[in-house]
Amino acid sequence: MWLKSLQHPRATEGSLDEEREALKRAPSLRFRLIGIGCLVISIIAALSINFVFDYSRRLADLSYDRLLRSALLQMDENVGLINDEVSIDIPWSAFATLAQANEDKVFYKVESSAQGFITGYKDLDMTPPQKTTYDKIQFFNREYSGEMVRFAFLERHLTEPDATGTVRIILGQTRLSREELASAVTQRAVDIVLMIALVAIALIVIGSHLVLRPLQRIERVLEERSPGDLTPLDIKTPKETHHLKVAINHFMSRLQDNLEQLEHYTADAAHQLRTPLAGLRALAENARDQTSPERQYQALEDIVNQCDALSQTVTLLLNQAVVSHRMQTRYREPIDLLLPIAASCREQAVTALHQGVHLSLDTELEHAMVLGDAFALQQMMQNLIENAVRYSNQGEQQAAEVVVTIAEFAAYYQVQVIDHGEGIPEAEKERVFERFYRGRYDIAGSGVGLAMVKDIVDHHSARIRILNTQPKGTTFQIDIAKFQMGVTE
Amino acid sequence: MKTLLVLFSALSILWSTLSMAAPVWFGDLKATRTLRINSSLDLASFAPLLERFVALHPDVRVSYLDVNTLELYQKTIQEKDHPSASLVISSAMDLQLKLVNDGYVQTYRSQATEQLPSDAKWRSQVFAFSLEPVVMLVNKDQFPGKLPEDRQDLLRAIRQYEKQMTGRIGTYDIRKSGVGYLLASQDARQADATWGRLIEAFGSHKLQTYCCTHQIIDDVASGKLVVGYNLLGSYASQRARVDSRLEMILPKDYTLMIRRVALIPKKAANVEDAGLFLDFLLSDEVQGMMQTKALLFPIRPDVTPVITPYVVEATGPKRAIELDQQLLVGRDYAKQRRFIKSWEVALEINDK
Repeated sequence: MWLKSLQHPRATEGSLDEEREALKRAPSLRFRLIGIGCLVISIIAALSINFVFDYSRRLADLSYDRLLRSALLQMDENVGLINDEVSIDIPWSAFATLAQANEDKVFYKVESSAQGFITGYKDLDMTPPQKTTYDKIQFFNREYSGEMVRFAFLERHLTEPDATGTVRIILGQTRLSREELASAVTQRAVDIVLMIALVAIALIVIGSHLVLRPLQRIERVLEERSPGDLTPLDIKTPKETHHLKVAINHFMSRLQDNLEQLEHYTADAAHQLRTPLAGLRALAENARDQTSPERQYQALEDIVNQCDALSQTVTLLLNQAVVSHRMQTRYREPIDLLLPIAASCREQAVTALHQGVHLSLDTELEHAMVLGDAFALQQMMQNLIENAVRYSNQGEQQAAEVVVTIAEFAAYYQVQVIDHGEGIPEAEKERVFERFYRGRYDIAGSGVGLAMVKDIVDHHSARIRILNTQPKGTTFQIDIAKFQMGVTE
Repeated sequence: MKTLLVLFSALSILWSTLSMAAPVWFGDLKATRTLRINSSLDLASFAPLLERFVALHPDVRVSYLDVNTLELYQKTIQEKDHPSASLVISSAMDLQLKLVNDGYVQTYRSQATEQLPSDAKWRSQVFAFSLEPVVMLVNKDQFPGKLPEDRQDLLRAIRQYEKQMTGRIGTYDIRKSGVGYLLASQDARQADATWGRLIEAFGSHKLQTYCCTHQIIDDVASGKLVVGYNLLGSYASQRARVDSRLEMILPKDYTLMIRRVALIPKKAANVEDAGLFLDFLLSDEVQGMMQTKALLFPIRPDVTPVITPYVVEATGPKRAIELDQQLLVGRDYAKQRRFIKSWEVALEINDK
């Protein structure tokens, strides 16, 4: 004991280091959340800024194009015949309109199809980018005199009676005011987008902290518990972590159950072993004290029998441990029910015969496929048959037969273990499946056999009933579902 | 007193004829840097400022070439690849603005230009440093009847005293003077009907046309002319203050206000000193000097608390000519041709 307690702290230290290493390697949920959040927000922010750039430029063009259009129309209105030639009297108001774009240069040119150049900047390229539609104003950007210029272009037929052909007007202004407006809009929008993005990121950081805090609380509470404390967690947690808490509590209560079971089992096993051992000791003492060789032989024979019984008990306990382990792992597969039943009958036949009981298996089936654990089912049959044989043996009149039958029904197979022993009183039928319940203490038995049977039956979702055999005795009847392809659990 | 005045006017004529040919130099001969200014400003108004400048900056020598506004415009375009001047100063706002619009000008920014109100500059390429009224100058001794207060009075006087007025009204030849054209086109814009009647009356009374302000003023002073129309306020006021025969009138119907503007040509040499001079023109000291020394009407009259005659106090509405894109309309090729043509027709000038 002192050795163990010496080793204990060292082991803890080592495992702490390991835990720290594992923690370092493990991906952080929080950082992952923040990282993904930042990435998504950055992408959205980038997209919206890009959109704003485009949009603000179009917006600026839209508003300043109105000025340009208005100025162009005012010019167009003043095209006409002056002193017998097509000319234009540019109104001051047209350029006053353009002067609203404070610092933008103005370029223009007017020409007619008949006269050619009328006024304006001679070297201005008048070809519009799209095919001319008469009376329709076209807007486009084009470089002129070293600057990007927004142009409006209009061509129309002359309507004066003495004039023929078309007049073409092009009017342009540089883009300073447009760019200024666009960048003002953009700047504002970018400021807002960046602010929202920062707030969103801050919310994610704070939110991730808040979301993970209940987990940390649960962790702390578990961490601070004394080693044997398996009582349910009693802390307030939000809805999202409620299920985790419930799962932990379920797990702990299962663990508690298992521990209790193990405790009982251990106590029972000790009890089971102590009685035959005490008997063995009494027999051995008896044998030692006997002087007559015949009696001594008889005493030794008793010792051997007692050893067999003890061995049987140990086997039963071991099998029970295996079965309960297998059932915890919930292992099931399609098997032929006949095989474990036949195997247990074969195993028991000789032992039964030694006790003067004839064991027979009665079935017409060739296969009986069920979903189950063959080992557990075999243990179940073994317990039932042992039980039947044991109880057949008692009473004044010894029953001479135990029958096992298997019958097929529409959805299930029915297994019956029939004996003609004393039978079980109605009041006790309810209790025989309880662990460590023993109907009669004068009959050898562990008191766990039928409890194990019940466990195995439950594990296979089957049904067990205790019937009375006529005229006397007991019938254990088990209904177990057929295995159908495609239906697993 | 009179002999002094005659001497002064004779000197100024000599000065200006000389300055047409060759530049006038200011500053130390040994100065390391040279700033060349082409300007339409009369040297009489500008010389004190230039002297102050070279006093402040002894390492700069300034050459000052007086050029008529229209010639100045043409010269600046001709010299676009190798400008002779680093600073071009003119009262023909429209031509200066057209130089900017057509890309002959470079941008200049300094603390002084940033402080200018937005209507006193355009694109940070052309800067106004004075704002003065456009006036009528009358010879009180020679003018028949009551002195006119506005253009209607002038028209009435012409009709009433045909004999005394014929051949004795002087104004710019809009074909030769850039600023003359600007003022005429602005008159036509402000009040087309008045302008029509006025030009018609001028035409039928043998209008005398001049290239330059000081010649008109001289002739008004000498009595050769009774009235000079659309003269720059700073020159008129300067002379009217020292010559009791002269009366400066700010027309009551509307008074045009004109800005003198400066710009730096695109490929100009010594841009640093041009900027230095521009800042100097806009400085509080010089703006105040224009007022206290009665040289020009400053663009920022608020810098001197002293009330001087060089603050415009027109009785009628003031119509400041905007320094913006609208000036291009007056210089539209077709419009300009028609305007000059109609001017010639009205004045019965067939040739030239």
